[in-house]
Amino acid sequence: MENIRNFCIIAHIDHGKSTLADRLLQMTGTVSDRDMVAQILDSMDLEREKGVTIKASAVRMLYKAKDGLEYELNLIDTPGHVDFNYEVSRALAACEGALLIVDATQGIEAQTLANLYLALDADLVIVPVINKIDLPSALPDEVAKDLEHLLGVPADSIPRISAKEGTNVEQVLEAIVSQVPPPRGDADLPLSALIFDSHYDSYKGVVAYIRIMDGKIRSNDSLRLMATRSDLKPVEIGIFSPTMRPVDQLLAGDVGYIATGLKTVSECRVGDTITNSQNPIREPLPGYRHPKPMVFAGIYPVEGEDYDDLKEALEKLQLNDASLVYQPETSQALNFGFRCGFLGLFHMEIIQERLEREYDMDVVVTAPSVEYEVVMLTGEILVIDSPVELPDEALIQEVREPWMKLDIITPTEFYGPVMELVTRRRGVYTQQDYPAPNRVQLIFEIPLAEIIVDFFDELKSRTRGYASMDYSFIGYRPSNLVKLEVMVGGEPVDALACIVHKEEAYHKGQRLVTKLKELIPRQLYDVAIQASASGRIISRANVKAMRKDVLAKCYGGDITRKKKLLEKQKRGKRRMKMVGSVEIPQEAFMAVLRLEDE
Amino acid sequence: MEAFLPAYVDALCKEIVQVGGDGLPVHTIYFGGGTPSVLSLNQFQKILTTIQNVFQVLPGAEISAEANPGTVTLESLDGMRRIGINRLSIGMQSANPEELVFLGRIHDVYAIQKSVSQARSAGFDHLSLDLIFGLPGQTIRQWQNTVEYTISLQPEHVSFYGLTIEDETPLGKWLKRGLVEAPDPDAGADMYEWAAERLEKAGFRSYEISNWALLDPIRGWMQCRHNMQYWRLQPYFGLGAGAHGYLDGIRTVNASQIGAYIQKMQAGGPQTTPGSSATVELKAISRWEQAEEMMMMGLRMTHEGVDEGEFIDRFGISLEEAFPRQIQKLIQEGLLEWVPMDGRHLRLTRRGWLLGNRVFMEFVGCPPPALFHNHQGSIPVG
Ligand SMILES: Nc1nc2c(ncn2[C@@H]2O[C@H](COP(=O)(O)OP(=O)(O)OP(=O)(O)O)[C@@H](O)[C@H]2O)c(=O)[nH]1
Ligand SMILES: [Mg+2]
Repeated sequence: MENIRNFCIIAHIDHGKSTLADRLLQMTGTVSDRDMVAQILDSMDLEREKGVTIKASAVRMLYKAKDGLEYELNLIDTPGHVDFNYEVSRALAACEGALLIVDATQGIEAQTLANLYLALDADLVIVPVINKIDLPSALPDEVAKDLEHLLGVPADSIPRISAKEGTNVEQVLEAIVSQVPPPRGDADLPLSALIFDSHYDSYKGVVAYIRIMDGKIRSNDSLRLMATRSDLKPVEIGIFSPTMRPVDQLLAGDVGYIATGLKTVSECRVGDTITNSQNPIREPLPGYRHPKPMVFAGIYPVEGEDYDDLKEALEKLQLNDASLVYQPETSQALNFGFRCGFLGLFHMEIIQERLEREYDMDVVVTAPSVEYEVVMLTGEILVIDSPVELPDEALIQEVREPWMKLDIITPTEFYGPVMELVTRRRGVYTQQDYPAPNRVQLIFEIPLAEIIVDFFDELKSRTRGYASMDYSFIGYRPSNLVKLEVMVGGEPVDALACIVHKEEAYHKGQRLVTKLKELIPRQLYDVAIQASASGRIISRANVKAMRKDVLAKCYGGDITRKKKLLEKQKRGKRRMKMVGSVEIPQEAFMAVLRLEDE
Repeated sequence: MEAFLPAYVDALCKEIVQVGGDGLPVHTIYFGGGTPSVLSLNQFQKILTTIQNVFQVLPGAEISAEANPGTVTLESLDGMRRIGINRLSIGMQSANPEELVFLGRIHDVYAIQKSVSQARSAGFDHLSLDLIFGLPGQTIRQWQNTVEYTISLQPEHVSFYGLTIEDETPLGKWLKRGLVEAPDPDAGADMYEWAAERLEKAGFRSYEISNWALLDPIRGWMQCRHNMQYWRLQPYFGLGAGAHGYLDGIRTVNASQIGAYIQKMQAGGPQTTPGSSATVELKAISRWEQAEEMMMMGLRMTHEGVDEGEFIDRFGISLEEAFPRQIQKLIQEGLLEWVPMDGRHLRLTRRGWLLGNRVFMEFVGCPPPALFHNHQGSIPVG
């Protein structure tokens, strides 16, 4: 066990975690050069395409160090996006050390700090690494100084690497061996193993990713899940190298997996402790708090008859993504669907894309909402996550919305534009700090509803891409909120309603109607659109009936091509949702999100 | 271009011989695509003679040629008429000089008038004029002027097409870069409707979305029989570079580059029936696709629409068995109607003329009904 090192790689998004993992796998011979592909641990199609890590992954490597000894290195790659922060905290609990990667062209950013603090809270040894030194705009000296300042390690002791080109990567391996302490477990004590992640395999059932704290697991042991008090015989135990490889036993300090054969992830929860049924421990290990969904939206099948398929698809997605929650919901306009909870907007987009691509579903996603607390005149408190559920204003004493602590790091020259952006979105400034020369860290409090959409894009565009942000929940606070309602073709469309600040209702209602008029295509008949709030009509518009939609020419030579055009047009139409007799495109349901001035 | 005309004509004749031969009866021949009027009289003659040798050209067959104003002379028209061409389709486009420039046409309005009168002197008694509307910046006034002028030339047939701008075309690119103004679809609808009424008043009848025929007291409605062959989904040979054919439920496509076409015909490589040595693509159309295409094409015919009896003969089920939901919905929306004619016909309503895509798309990409037998059948060649 003296020769085991368990570590994870943490960083701000895109600083090169997965790329460094590639090099480590290659240099240790875990993956042959021939089998190497970029960001090999990002195995989901969507991860590969977007170039981001969504799900943490673990892998075991063997490394012969300069001291002549062979070490077992267990690496966990983590996602950098703030929506998936909880994946990072889980990975941390399985490790003794963390590689903190900083991009030499970007310097310290918001998630660099956020993830660093998480790692320090978990008592991990931090090994800083400066990456991307091959780029002409790299400033490794400055970044080294900033890190020295932040961590108290000498600037010249920090490895400066290019994960892409492989430069100085062996320094990282040596630093891991020399700086990260070996695990402290005892293989002779009763078994305690922490489940830090899981995925679903159609043959082996739920595969739990585990870190053994004490004791050992043999492949024929009978195991107990402490939260559910259920016993199981593992289908298989093994390690990731980097694909699943069965082994006969796993010992204290090891990172590996147990194929449980269980059919639902809820039977085998991430954060739970596994022990031996014959010789159990008494108290489970401290787990994690389950990630709480922050953003909610309705997902509806475009065709009503696909409801069951959608349900099945969500069930399957949840097998691999326990942070996705959903429950059936009925909408007047969209009929039967599901109210889903997500960690953030990025998470929501990923779920939507996976439904469309992996499950071939045509879905309508309604505008995301946060969760509100509604205090009724009776004193009763309702928790709602959909504008539809907001009761009649006359019965409400107060509506409270979630507020966040927002952390922005930006070059000082963008101080003004950042301040302006945040205050325009009802944010309140609280404090500032200077983590590095020419960099300011601004801390605000802001309603979550104001940052879930577009905020980050705006921040990026105002700071030419230099600012980064992080946020965390502080609590609920009362606000003056009202429901903005929409009628299309004379029928109320509940899925287009949204909750807005009273002072903005008028303005947003007008913008919404204008937007909808642009987005709703002309139909066979005139379609009236109107918005109202607190019983008052704010704005109306009319989408005039379509008069001309015909291919002027179609002769012998054109048939195949014209048929394709028609099929394409038909598919576009099919993706729209019939509400009453009006066809509404998916984008219209998102229109409520972008009501800022252009 | 002119330089390889002789070789091209040779190749074309070789192709005609390859695919013909059984004395198959034909009732229409169409010289189109590009500017066939660049052919010399001898070349026209050679092609026609070759056709007559290997096919049975029926008496009274319609033999059309496309001609652009300014590319023909009295002499050439006279020759064309003499060797048997009996219908001329003139690419007039517009009677507005600026529009002609915008469309990159080499002719002016005078050339149009001259071509028409020369065609008449040469003895053509079936003339069609092709127009285009919905140009960027075009006013209804300008269009009315073009239509009035067209009627004054007394053609037997008029086609008018709404301009469609496709992304890859130069116009599409200009539009993207904001160099031209996007045509307003409602203005296009106004133009179409105005022209429809005006032509009706002048004795024409719409028989297809973009095609109008005059009633001749002796010859009846002066429809283009060749084009009807396409819309009725009946068989035709496509001969020459880039031509498409449709025979026995198989669609053929020839090499589109003239050079490649000539080369393939000269080499005389293997020939896959019903194609020739120049055929680069052969695609069997399943019976269900044929049924769908019969709707998509047949419903373009604003007067006769789709003949239910014909559909049943071909596919063994009725229209309502094949497309129950679609037909019901479209009738309800006021886009389709049943008319008793010679049997039952399903066609677009007047309102549906300009909303054709809404109708056609309902009939493409549908799963066949359980009743349908999708085995490959053959269609009688007409
Ligand atoms: N030039 C250069 N580019 C690098 C280097 N390391 C990583 N990159 C590039 O930076 C981008 C992000 O790299 P990833 O390894 O996916 O970053 P990550 O930190 O795993 O990103 P997330 O998982 O999305 O948080 C990719 O385009 C890499 O090719 C480097 O050393 N030099
Ligand atoms: Mg990554």
